[in-house]
Amino acid sequence: MKRKLWMKIFTILMAMSLLLGLGAGSARYAQAAEVSSDIVVESADGSASGSEDEFRVGMEAGYPPFNWTQTDDSNGAVRIDGNKEYAGGYDVQIAKKVAEGLGKKLVIVKTEWDGLVPALVSGKIDAIIAGMSPTAERKETIDFSDIYYKSDLIIVVKKGEAYEDATSIADFKGAKITAQLNTFHYGVIDQIEGVIRQTAMDNFTAMRVALEAGMIDGYVSEKPEGVSASMANSNFAMVEFDKGKGFATAEEDTAISVGIAKDSELTGQINEILSGISEEERTELMDEAILEQPASGGNKTSFQWFIDIMKENGPMFLRGAGMTLLISLTGTILGFLIGLLVGVIKTIPMPLKGAGRTAQKIINGLLSVYVEFFRGTPMIVQAMVIYYGSALAFDIHMNRLAAAIFIVSINTGAYMSEIIRGGIVSIDKGQFEAAQAVGMNHVQTMTNVVLPQVIRNILPATGNEFVINIKDTSVLNVIAVTELFFQTKSVAGNNFRYFESFFVACILYFIMTFTVTRILRHIEKRLDGPANYNMITNQAPDEDTDSTAGQA
Amino acid sequence: MEKVIEIQHLSKSFGTHEVLKDIDFTVNKGEVVCIIGSSGSGKSTLLRCINLLERPSGGMIIYNGENILDEKHDIHQYRTKLGMVFQQFNLFNNHNVLNNCIVGQVKVLGRSKEDAKKVAMKYLKNVGMEKYVNAKPSQLSGGQKQRVAIARALSMEPDVLLFDEPTSALDPEMVGEVLKVMKDLAHTGLTMLVVTHEMAFAKEVSDRVVFMDKGVIAEEGTPELIFNNPTQDRTREFLKRTL
Repeated sequence: MKRKLWMKIFTILMAMSLLLGLGAGSARYAQAAEVSSDIVVESADGSASGSEDEFRVGMEAGYPPFNWTQTDDSNGAVRIDGNKEYAGGYDVQIAKKVAEGLGKKLVIVKTEWDGLVPALVSGKIDAIIAGMSPTAERKETIDFSDIYYKSDLIIVVKKGEAYEDATSIADFKGAKITAQLNTFHYGVIDQIEGVIRQTAMDNFTAMRVALEAGMIDGYVSEKPEGVSASMANSNFAMVEFDKGKGFATAEEDTAISVGIAKDSELTGQINEILSGISEEERTELMDEAILEQPASGGNKTSFQWFIDIMKENGPMFLRGAGMTLLISLTGTILGFLIGLLVGVIKTIPMPLKGAGRTAQKIINGLLSVYVEFFRGTPMIVQAMVIYYGSALAFDIHMNRLAAAIFIVSINTGAYMSEIIRGGIVSIDKGQFEAAQAVGMNHVQTMTNVVLPQVIRNILPATGNEFVINIKDTSVLNVIAVTELFFQTKSVAGNNFRYFESFFVACILYFIMTFTVTRILRHIEKRLDGPANYNMITNQAPDEDTDSTAGQA
Repeated sequence: MEKVIEIQHLSKSFGTHEVLKDIDFTVNKGEVVCIIGSSGSGKSTLLRCINLLERPSGGMIIYNGENILDEKHDIHQYRTKLGMVFQQFNLFNNHNVLNNCIVGQVKVLGRSKEDAKKVAMKYLKNVGMEKYVNAKPSQLSGGQKQRVAIARALSMEPDVLLFDEPTSALDPEMVGEVLKVMKDLAHTGLTMLVVTHEMAFAKEVSDRVVFMDKGVIAEEGTPELIFNNPTQDRTREFLKRTL
């Protein structure tokens, strides 16, 4: 009976995540065949890098008009690697031309801004075409091609407020201004006298939200972002400066180039191709991109937006939720098994003397290092170190999904091992003695008597871990895993409706965690059974002999 | 008489505290032996040393002509020959009544589930718990738990059954049901070694009574001898206090 229940729940959860997460994957192959074949390249695992005839380009796909994410291939958009969405924008058009010139197939790898340089250095992508400026700092790590776009710095402000009419950066005295982290935009803020410089922000999405909410008075960016922002949100305006009144910038800053690995032979080839694209053609491409970029929806209410976002991006959200569920479920199960192993090893009675004692001490020491290390560092940092580090140091190119599951598993394992160790220690000594008294050895005692009780007792803690994992997988967006948070960011980056988009994600997260909590509570109740026993009269005893032992 | 277990010069210390001092003691086949004595006299420790829940500090435990304290001796195999009934019952909380009696047979003795179930049902009937086969330990009273614990020990079909104060943790009204089961067992010729505070039980059922005091066997003999004509002053004092 009980085993069947476990199986049923497990099957349902697995099926749910497979349907949502990977089921979409099989559809993806069918569709991929229909899309023009010279552009779309799908590696089976979605992340294997470095095939000779591929040109792998990294971009945020969330920085219109340079690059953005859309759900179809209209306007020459290109499918994103390992994903069902498409990337469009100025960068994509340039990338297509470069790939064509190189005679290779273009593969777009959607990567967080901060992950672009590491991805390039570790060889996961061949080039960065992401509206990136060739700054001196970046040039220390990577090479850049010639310039393929040049823009001026502007400040995006709220319409109708004092700063809208500014003409010179001096007018921003006393204004709260910020810019994107790790960009030169942030550095130039100090040129404004008397400015109140705010903490730099991760991405444009965050800055737009902050501006809309009045947390900042404006943010520095380049003209295309200014055009996009003011087009998408009627509350925003862009302040341009005449020559001499704006920010003093170096050409290397306002210019935009292709990032390439150091000393790559690609640099020369790409420069040659870029020189073949005329100034007029570039302006034309940028104008097109500004026109085509995901537009604002006029004066819809939040509720209408909410409905439209769900209608238009439903599959994207569901795939994200499925991926989140798949990673957290698999991670929790594997982590639980790791924890079980570590917890059991750590509680083996220590022999009083001999080589066995030394060996056991060494093993316990290593396990403690594992537990302390992974409990003591943030998962987001581990993700960066493991995913990019493994490629840099050992030339291991992990599949993104596998890396995600690996990171969540070892993290959960570190926590679970302590929970399980505590669970074993808390079992009454009499249980061990009674098992020994019927002649059981340590392994038999553990599997038949102790662990089934431990597992029952730590079920609430395990449920906690599962729920935490569902939420914490959101940090995996730094290694470009397309889980729910990452998908939501893409949606919001396209439609500029941050509140509505993230509200959908909020609800989806809650549905997942709430369902999991309820299911686990149900399992607990089933395992505990009723408090009172009704004497059986005639029927034969239940056939579920040994069922609880089977759980171990 | 055939010896089942013979103990020679057994000693046990916890740190510097010597709990058992040079114990010589024999259990014969078919015998019911009760060990009495005040708290801290070492009677429970002696019982726990016999099935190695406590490792003796010195001496020999001879079973079937072999010293089971030898390093190479398989203590798990030896323990299956000794049934143990604990003061706190210690039923496996994760198993129902039937499985408590089966799991040892299947996992340790390697019996088939069907055989194990037959054996278990036989002994559960003996202790009057056959109607509770599907109950979890948490659903039983103390007396019921202890009867199941006895059935669990019997299901392993041991040579000796050890009882460690089997009624001390029970409410007074439940003591009787457990003692009755034990009396019935005593009459079947089972070899039993019982640590107990139930003087009436010791007097009525045992073939031999052992009185322990301060880690040594002070006096042993038939119940008549111990209870009616003790030779030692400390035996007399103990009986005066308890009877």
